[in-house]
Amino acid sequence: MQRALGPLTSPCAVDMAGSSESASSKVPEYEVPDLHTRVFHVGSLGALWKETLQRADLALQEPVAEDGAAAVAEGLGCPLETAAELGAVCSIDMLKSPDKKEDPEIILEDSDLVTLRIRKKALERREETIIVDRACRQETFTYEMESHAIGKRPKDPADLIEEGELLLTLNIFYPVIFQKHKDHKPYQTVLVLGCQKLTELRDSISCVSDLQIGGEFSSHPDHAPEHISKDLYKSAYFYFEGVFYNDKRHSECRDLSRTVIEWAESHDRGYENLQTAKMEDYTFNDLSIKVGFPYLFCHQGDCEHIIIITDIRLVHQDDCLDRTLYPLLIKKHWLWTRKCFVCKMYTARWVTNEDSLAPEDPCFFCDVCFRMLHYDAEGNKLGEFLAYPYVDPGTFN
Amino acid sequence: MSLASGLQTDCEALLRSFLETDNVRFEVFSGLWRDRRFHTIFHGQTRPLEKNKFTQKALDLALRYFLPPYSFQIRVGALYLLYGLYSTQLCKPKQKIRIALKEWFEVQKFQQDLITAQHYDAAYIFRKLRLDKAFHFTAMPRLLSFRTKKKIRETELKEEFKELNNRVSRLITNDVLEEMMNVHDHYQKMKCLISTDKSQPDKALSLIKDEFVINIKNMILEYQHWQQDKMKFFAKGKESEEMTDKKEGGTSQDSESSERASALAKIKYKSYSAVAQASKSRRHRQVKLESSESGSDQGKMETPRCKRPRVKSQLTRKRNLLEIKGGINAIEKEDVTHNRGMPVITEEENSSEEDLPRPKRRRTR
Repeated sequence: MQRALGPLTSPCAVDMAGSSESASSKVPEYEVPDLHTRVFHVGSLGALWKETLQRADLALQEPVAEDGAAAVAEGLGCPLETAAELGAVCSIDMLKSPDKKEDPEIILEDSDLVTLRIRKKALERREETIIVDRACRQETFTYEMESHAIGKRPKDPADLIEEGELLLTLNIFYPVIFQKHKDHKPYQTVLVLGCQKLTELRDSISCVSDLQIGGEFSSHPDHAPEHISKDLYKSAYFYFEGVFYNDKRHSECRDLSRTVIEWAESHDRGYENLQTAKMEDYTFNDLSIKVGFPYLFCHQGDCEHIIIITDIRLVHQDDCLDRTLYPLLIKKHWLWTRKCFVCKMYTARWVTNEDSLAPEDPCFFCDVCFRMLHYDAEGNKLGEFLAYPYVDPGTFN
Repeated sequence: MSLASGLQTDCEALLRSFLETDNVRFEVFSGLWRDRRFHTIFHGQTRPLEKNKFTQKALDLALRYFLPPYSFQIRVGALYLLYGLYSTQLCKPKQKIRIALKEWFEVQKFQQDLITAQHYDAAYIFRKLRLDKAFHFTAMPRLLSFRTKKKIRETELKEEFKELNNRVSRLITNDVLEEMMNVHDHYQKMKCLISTDKSQPDKALSLIKDEFVINIKNMILEYQHWQQDKMKFFAKGKESEEMTDKKEGGTSQDSESSERASALAKIKYKSYSAVAQASKSRRHRQVKLESSESGSDQGKMETPRCKRPRVKSQLTRKRNLLEIKGGINAIEKEDVTHNRGMPVITEEENSSEEDLPRPKRRRTR
């Protein structure tokens, strides 16, 4: 589960690689081919791109000017007659068939394209085995999440994203540990702007451990407190390239990373130069990171999420340009919720241990079934058990 | 065959036929495209998610051919292919072409070359793609999610599309040679000046080989000729393969293949004429020389040919690693032993002849 991605074993590799180059290279390139890049500064990448591109490439508005022959002639340095011809010679009509009535959903019979033959076979197989050929719920959900924000524009023009802004794609892994997730750990994908602060990302990460209510409430189930862990334990940190960015916005936030740093420095472990910084002072443009390399987000003291930055690119006209919607969630893993053991209908809200009335340990109950089984009409506790409020990881579905 | 490899087959077939036209005009390419009705490659998909994934894969594949080290014609073909795929895709909004920063510099250079060479249609198409905002300007070409367990899916792209890897001449350019000559002359003159006999340097001062600059130049020329011959041979080999496949008659075919057969026979004769004497313990496995008939050669040539593209690239790579020792014969012999099939052997000595040539090959590696 955490075997494939080991965040605390990486600093060694980072130091060994980093020591050979004093300054991080400006153009991102692979450190391990096809796996991850070297360290580079995010803001510099944006600057480099902006330097090498033209205004028209970066623009986020619809292009106004028509690409007339004169503009073409100027751009290519060719004579005007050639420019006029080019439009006709290179038009898209040259690539399409003259038959207007083509249906893109039907595959032609006599095609020589291998791809089409394979696809046709797959479709025929589906028909034979009567597999329904519409997108299933999961696929529709995935597609909707990916594309729900495409092309959105803000109501308030002050919220419009600037040209040349960088868009980072982050995979944030869930801390759930199920056997079935051994090979592919579930994650959610978030889009973040370069100008956004780390704290904005921190606030957008929804983790079930934030909603936990601590304490045993078998004797007084009605008095389960309202405040959740999110309000009680506000400390958190990000770890990127040897620096711990701690959340210090509230007075009760502690420096969780101090434990790690003290441990690293205590014996000669070889993890030197770990630093701390304040999360709220940094934006993503200020960071120096590797693309494709796992980093860490820790909150609630010991709830750790692995974060991988999978992609950095310039914002495009077709993206969502409303700044208030970022960090934008575009992919979420659908976790099946645990249902009550009794009615198998409602999501579990209570979990019991050492319960003489329950068939297994631990056992999950919804609120109604829990009270019906464990308490009599007056509200007295029946039997021996320990009961804890339970928040299912699938709550965010 | 998976959909991805089917896609690769189709794209490569289109690029290969474009390569054969020996032309870089868009009209030629669009003619080939229309013949195959390539835009139908997107047909038959009803679900938007799979449409997006497929289109992204197709664009990614076409982009790989657009970047170096492929030859100029293939790169122009790939540009047209990108244009075609981008324009005829069925996804809304359109899937974009991802270009990384390090690739963008190459692309700009390419566009500049196109404009200076007056290939206006290709330059126009690139310009059009750019104005249509068909590109996503990224840090790295693909999304990286630290999949250590996933197999690297780098499918082998066509070696024959690649540009001749002329690292030797890139290292020792004409300027370098000229400078070397100048320095050498200057050095000789200096030696003469400080010697007692002003017309030639002292014997005590002769520390280097006097003709080494000329030797280097000759070696480079030899290497270049060899490389050109190799390419020609490869192209000829492919041609005659196609011709023999189609079973066409004609004297041209006969003369070509018999030419090749005689060349092969000559090379084989050279390498297999020397047979090692087996030790007393291996007497029973002593190799006896057999003369192979040229007819059977031809038959044999069909099968190892498919290995040739891969082998050629291995060899070019190795050649770059080897120091320039000269002696093309040595290189050719290696070439031969890897390329050719087994010599003709009689039934009884089947095992013995097979054993000995194979260990010999391994050693030359």
